[in-house]
Amino acid sequence: MQIRPYIKKQSLRFGMTEILVAVAVASALFCAETLMAADTPGASETQVKAIFLFNFAKYVEWPATAFTNATAPITIGVMGTDPFGDNLQHDIEGKTMNGRPFVIKHLATDSDLSGCQILFISDSEASRMEEILDKAGALPILTVGEDEQFAQKNGIINFVLKDRKVRLEIDLAAARKAGLTISSRLLAVADVVKGRTN
Amino acid sequence: MFKQLSLWKWALSGATLAFVLIAPLVDAANTNQVSKSSDDLENLTLEQLVNVQVTSVSKKETDLFTSPAAIYVITQEDIRRSGVTSIPDALRMVPGMEVAQINASQWAVSSRGFNSQFADKLLVLVDGRSVYTPAFSGIIWEIQDLVMEDLDRIEVIRGPGAALWGDNAVNGVINIITKSARETQGTLISTSFGTDNQSITSLRYGGQLSTNLFYRVYLKYEREDGFDNTMGNRMPDGWDALHGGARFDWEPTLNDRFTLQGDYIAANLGGTAQFPTYNATTLYMTNFSGVNPKSDGNIVGRWTHDFSSSSQLTLQMYYDHSVETDAELKSTVDVYDFDLQHRFALGERQDIVWGAGFRDSLDDSPASFNLTFYPQKNYAQIYNVFAQDDITVVQNRFHVILGTKFDHNTYSGYELQPSGRLLWTPSEKQTVWMAVSRASTTPSHLDVASRYNQSTFPSAGGPVLVSLFGNPNFQAEQLLAYELGYRFVPAASWSFDLSTYYNVYDDVQVYQMGTPYFEATPVPHLVVPETAQNALSGESYGAELSVQWKPVDYWRLTASYSWLHMRLVPVDTTAGDSPQNQFQIHSYLDLPHNIDFSSAIYYVDSLPDQNVASYVRLDLGLSWRMNKTWEFGVFAQNLLDSGHVEFGSFRTSQVTEIPRSIYAKITCQF
Repeated sequence: MQIRPYIKKQSLRFGMTEILVAVAVASALFCAETLMAADTPGASETQVKAIFLFNFAKYVEWPATAFTNATAPITIGVMGTDPFGDNLQHDIEGKTMNGRPFVIKHLATDSDLSGCQILFISDSEASRMEEILDKAGALPILTVGEDEQFAQKNGIINFVLKDRKVRLEIDLAAARKAGLTISSRLLAVADVVKGRTN
Repeated sequence: MFKQLSLWKWALSGATLAFVLIAPLVDAANTNQVSKSSDDLENLTLEQLVNVQVTSVSKKETDLFTSPAAIYVITQEDIRRSGVTSIPDALRMVPGMEVAQINASQWAVSSRGFNSQFADKLLVLVDGRSVYTPAFSGIIWEIQDLVMEDLDRIEVIRGPGAALWGDNAVNGVINIITKSARETQGTLISTSFGTDNQSITSLRYGGQLSTNLFYRVYLKYEREDGFDNTMGNRMPDGWDALHGGARFDWEPTLNDRFTLQGDYIAANLGGTAQFPTYNATTLYMTNFSGVNPKSDGNIVGRWTHDFSSSSQLTLQMYYDHSVETDAELKSTVDVYDFDLQHRFALGERQDIVWGAGFRDSLDDSPASFNLTFYPQKNYAQIYNVFAQDDITVVQNRFHVILGTKFDHNTYSGYELQPSGRLLWTPSEKQTVWMAVSRASTTPSHLDVASRYNQSTFPSAGGPVLVSLFGNPNFQAEQLLAYELGYRFVPAASWSFDLSTYYNVYDDVQVYQMGTPYFEATPVPHLVVPETAQNALSGESYGAELSVQWKPVDYWRLTASYSWLHMRLVPVDTTAGDSPQNQFQIHSYLDLPHNIDFSSAIYYVDSLPDQNVASYVRLDLGLSWRMNKTWEFGVFAQNLLDSGHVEFGSFRTSQVTEIPRSIYAKITCQF
């Protein structure tokens, strides 16, 4: 058996030249980029959900019976522990949509729901969710939640976290039952899990 | 003491700084921001809103709390603040992991026992790609490297994860996940330099090719001098590595995500080894001291399709080519892997994951007197199917999770690795989980068909050669693990996480001596053969406790303790390869003006088998985020002691001390 020579001592000297080449390549790539589409970098989960609530008022139509008059406020009721921090007060309260100002209310479980147009049911109410949704079901209220079973229990819009983005699940049947019409623009960016007619 | 920084390194840093100062001026049009204010969010269209990446995910904490496994997640923040520069160093902060640095570039990493340079009971995945080498088992940590700033998180599960994850997930699974291309937009330049001439320079650029197609490219160079051995002499284990890669993420529809990524790393690692060789008349031990080139190139493709919010399919394929050299040993490995996974909800009570996979690997190792594989070029395949059902027995209170993996590998045939878990959440504040699982290791080419001439010594009758032989009948090692865990979150500022386990091992490998015999070539000598046998069995048990406390908003403390007791019979070959007790405390303090101060103390028990004493280590890190663009940091590791040994080596008797080290870092992002 022959003696195998040791593996030749290679010296890959990655010195300044290689680094400067790398730097040049990086700057070339950067300069070459011409397309700068609007990018949507990060925000907190609750900020995004708060803005969605604001947008729901834009893309959902309530029946005339939901409001007392043309300038009556859009009331967002938050039932259970408020996960939004001050996002709702900060981003929504006081703004107007179609001439109606937004009002934020914090509700206890047994509160009267009839004064709200949008009802956000927090995760803390998980055990009472079915009860609350039953009560709200016949009223013209847009029920919004963030629970896995929300749509199953006839909640209208559910926030789902997918791949670090806030996505929407919509139960169209429940929306119809409440007398609400959801714009096709909102339906297009959501996953309609129940009540699709076509 | 600080070693002299050489002139070229000043030039390198100067060049980088020059680029860094000029480029932002050129970048006038770039309006990349790290986070959006609510005003910006309000102006987004619906289509844009559904694509915003949320940076703080509240649900993730819930997922960890109700996870029926001993899981620990190292976040990017943990990595940034502790200043760790490599994956093994980051793994130190996980309770139950044993991490020992062997020399400037090599590591011994394991979980719950069996630590060695090539510990084979850990499954390590980088973005879904397994980095375990099938030639001789183990992870070659020195070529697993990433731009640390682009790491999203490292999920570490101690205990068997075989049912879901796969082969060799016997004592743990390490899942290293990098950020998506969308999350790493813009330019990042970071350079650091410190003692032992250590320097790391990373350049990353992320851009957008169209509305839903993002990419990033990166280049990283790092180097470090060798450390001193216990006698105070400089060892030739200095090294350098050049690493580059790219990643593309494409989301053509709301329901489809494609990822294509690839990396290449070329490293030169100095090393020493002693092994037998021969001349015309006799066998003798020779010393090798030189540079071992190692490299790895890979390409990974992944497609995730959402059929609905409760049904998701993932297809993944990758190709990996690696070259490992150590003195006379050289091994080239090619791996082709294909995996399919489907998650879906079945009714209201069941969450099912099932999948199938195939891996084909080729290892090619030219014969040398030191090590010969039979055949030199060897193909091995693994086919697997798996399924897991998470059954909700009582909503939010009680889950039963049943799963199994069934696979076939070329060496040991069929293996069934079932696992049953219970998850009981009596209240929002407490979780109890239990698991019984079976896991097995896949034999390697070395275990089955090889000859490794380990050492030679003279005797009255001529040279004696100790040779380790593979065994064609070598079977998979088996583990039956019983685990019990408890999590308690009494308030928002406190949390406790306790994991306990009792592992029963069988068919564990040991080399057993056979009858010596004479061999005539290359020179007459007596061979003392040791053959790989599945002759050991035994048990281990232990616990890992982790406590997190946030006394005020700006100060987080984490303490953890792990205890391991291990015993194998009839010969306990691993006694003292893993520390019996480990303890660590981490403190993360947010100071005003965007200054972060972090500190960590580690206590690691002795390794009697390796002649390694226990040690205490203190790490400190100070970083200052001056503005959105600039960040500066100074990090010190192992401050209390000028050097200590953490592990021995199977290749050389010269043992390296891991020194005190300090380095400074500048990061520029725009």
